[in-house]
Amino acid sequence: MAGRREVLADRPIRRRGGAVTLDGMSEHTSGQVPEHAALELRGLRRTFGEKVAVHDMDLVVPPGSFYGVVGPNGAGKTTALSMAVGLLRPSAGRALVHGVDVWADPVEAKRRLGVLPDGLALPERLTGGELLTYWGRFRRMPRDVVAARTAELLRVLELEEAEALGTLVGEYSTGMRKKIGLATALLHTPRVLVLDEPYEAVDPVSARVLTRILRRFTAAGGSVVVSSHVMALVEQLCDRVAIVVRGQVAAAGTLDEVRGGSSLEDRFVDLVGAPEVAEEELAWIAG
Amino acid sequence: MDRGMIALKFAMLRNSLPGLRAAGWVIGGVLVAVTWAAAVLVPDEGIRRSVLLLVLAGWLVGGMVGPVLMSGAGVLRAEYFALLPLPRRVVARGLLVSVFVSIAAGYVLLAQGSVVAHAARGGVVPALVGAVGAVLAGAGVIMLSRVVYGLLGAAMQSRLGIQIAGVQFGIMFAAMFTGWMVVSVTVESVAVLLRRGLAEGPVLTVLEALPSSWPLLAADRAAAGDLGGALLLLGALAALDAVLLAAALALLVPRPGRTARRRGRPRSPALVAGGGLLPATQTGAVIGKEIRQWRRDPWRALESSTALWTGIVIGTLLLLVDWARPGAAFAGVIVAFVLGLGGCNLYGQDGTAVWQNVVGEDATSVRSDVRGRQWAMLLVFAPRVLAVTVPFVVLSGAWWTVPLVAAAIPAVMGAATGAAVLTSAIGVSPGVDPRRRVGPNDANGNIGLHVWVVILATSVAVAPTVVALVWGAPRPAPVTSTLVVVVGVLNGLGAAWLLGRVAVAYLAGRLPDVFSRIRYGRLFTDGPDGAGADGGLLDWVARTTLRGEVRAREMKQEERDKRLARAAATRG
Repeated sequence: MAGRREVLADRPIRRRGGAVTLDGMSEHTSGQVPEHAALELRGLRRTFGEKVAVHDMDLVVPPGSFYGVVGPNGAGKTTALSMAVGLLRPSAGRALVHGVDVWADPVEAKRRLGVLPDGLALPERLTGGELLTYWGRFRRMPRDVVAARTAELLRVLELEEAEALGTLVGEYSTGMRKKIGLATALLHTPRVLVLDEPYEAVDPVSARVLTRILRRFTAAGGSVVVSSHVMALVEQLCDRVAIVVRGQVAAAGTLDEVRGGSSLEDRFVDLVGAPEVAEEELAWIAG
Repeated sequence: MDRGMIALKFAMLRNSLPGLRAAGWVIGGVLVAVTWAAAVLVPDEGIRRSVLLLVLAGWLVGGMVGPVLMSGAGVLRAEYFALLPLPRRVVARGLLVSVFVSIAAGYVLLAQGSVVAHAARGGVVPALVGAVGAVLAGAGVIMLSRVVYGLLGAAMQSRLGIQIAGVQFGIMFAAMFTGWMVVSVTVESVAVLLRRGLAEGPVLTVLEALPSSWPLLAADRAAAGDLGGALLLLGALAALDAVLLAAALALLVPRPGRTARRRGRPRSPALVAGGGLLPATQTGAVIGKEIRQWRRDPWRALESSTALWTGIVIGTLLLLVDWARPGAAFAGVIVAFVLGLGGCNLYGQDGTAVWQNVVGEDATSVRSDVRGRQWAMLLVFAPRVLAVTVPFVVLSGAWWTVPLVAAAIPAVMGAATGAAVLTSAIGVSPGVDPRRRVGPNDANGNIGLHVWVVILATSVAVAPTVVALVWGAPRPAPVTSTLVVVVGVLNGLGAAWLLGRVAVAYLAGRLPDVFSRIRYGRLFTDGPDGAGADGGLLDWVARTTLRGEVRAREMKQEERDKRLARAAATRG
């Protein structure tokens, strides 16, 4: 990675009728022979005391796919993804990134991964630019590449103004935090992005930018795994989806396979089960 | 509303550590008993009076620092109620009322009641005056404790405030380090005090001027027939209470989104543009990030200003004592020593941001991270150590100490950075996660053991320099002095390198466990890759520091189970 000296500033972002293209991102992901799944979970399990949070989960994310992991609150999405990226030790099972075991060969696996966790702190007292500079240098990227990508990412993600004002990451809004988090995940040109709730609290305009970046990433051969509660979003973005219920994959496959003719939301509710609200309950709600 | 807040407060206290609460009750009870013993058992009136004045002043000071030291368990914060459709006055009043309903407040009032026992010997009227005074003074102490806590919370948002808090903690540390002096003086003086009471002089004058003494003075005046003077003092006390009430209400009013605007936004355009003074390496990146955290994070800044002020306070104390004067030249060495205490929980202070170290792990990242943190500590503290050393060496006038100080500083700084980073690695103790920090103690969890590990490790690591100092001090010649300094520098480098290396070796492969301790408050050892325990000293420290937190969680779980069982029983 250190030998790659392409400078993104030379290939500017172009906005054509609102279309944003980010040149130079993840281009080396193309041309790979797809021997292994981009991400594979095999019998992954995590227990917290008596509670089984993730129950022998199996999941295969093919290379180049845009994969959505959906499930109700507390289904084990975040726990499973944390184990997949090396943040949480599994009780049993394996997680493989392009065939590399995350827990047996973490350095090699983590080089290929870009991660956006949900609800975790960042170095709160740095500005976005300082954070990206730190992160790039920490990942041993060349100084000029870091500077160019930082400038480009700040511009594309519309964080330039905050940077000019010296706003610290700790003062960012939730949406801005998601964006700077995504920038850290993208910075070192990973091959697999694992993003926990990337669209949460992101405004519609930024969401479009984000979507274009991610689509571009998959078009170049990269793979994206996103977790979300929002069915419409997943339906619109992803070509593959897994529904996680009570720590297990209840359904997985291409979007059409999982939907089976109805909408994703209906299918989701079928699998998860929704409590019925009887006519007389909450009668007071209308005042 | 007030009732609801009181219920919430007690619910929060129930969720805090029962052992700690019980200890607090016992200590408080003993202190109340001591206060009453002074009021009842001391036969001579003059002596009894001066002892009581001193003890009541102690309660005043205790009320001020108590909540800060206890990290505010059970303190309701105005922000909790910011979204409720209540007038802000009502919230403030409820918060204040909740402060009064507590065991601690009961103790304060009981202790103040000792004045009545003293005054009752003079008759009914002095006893009544004493009782009114006791209630007024008790209320004052309770409100003051909340005001001080609130002010410190607000102070954490400004640079000046951090310095003020740093002075407080500095005095506290100084008292702890020079504890033997304080204890020996106290033991001697208690005996003298009980025999003779306080002599007329500045100490007594200052004590009598403190509001904590006013109830007793009022009762004394009433006993002497000066009822007007007694009422005047009670009136003054009531006025003071009114001021405190106004201050407490003003401070407790919730102000959503209250963030102090900083003047001069800190940012580093040159760094972001690819420049910067530090090398653009992995270690350089960590140094840059850490230096910025030390400078910009109020909690880190508090650690460094505490170190600074501890040195200044101890140096000043030593300057004041004739025979200890040359010791003041070592004030800067104390700053260097406290540096180790300030950095004893770096990973815990980072909170869940440690995920970056986990996902960014590569062949050299752990080493770069540990070394970068050490360098940053050194760079942040070196100017402070020098800034304290130079004036105190000059003020002490003990020029012969210069080579000794020059040897001690590098040795202690090196050992302290090593001990700090190693303790940070093995004893991760997460406090409140970075974004939710408010109070001055929020950044750390329980670091009681960490402090002792750092003190011990630093002391052992500087042993070669101590030997050299003992050898060199009676032989003041240029050659021996130079040799002592060389030993000090080599000792510092060696200790920093060795302790840092142990930290690197410990962390390699354990980064997910560090993160687990922060994110989940536990270690996961049930899996195929579970962290191996080698049963060594480091693991002992790791297990012991974790045990407190694990025990706390278990107790919470037990409480929860009990509550569920109770709820089930009432339903069934």
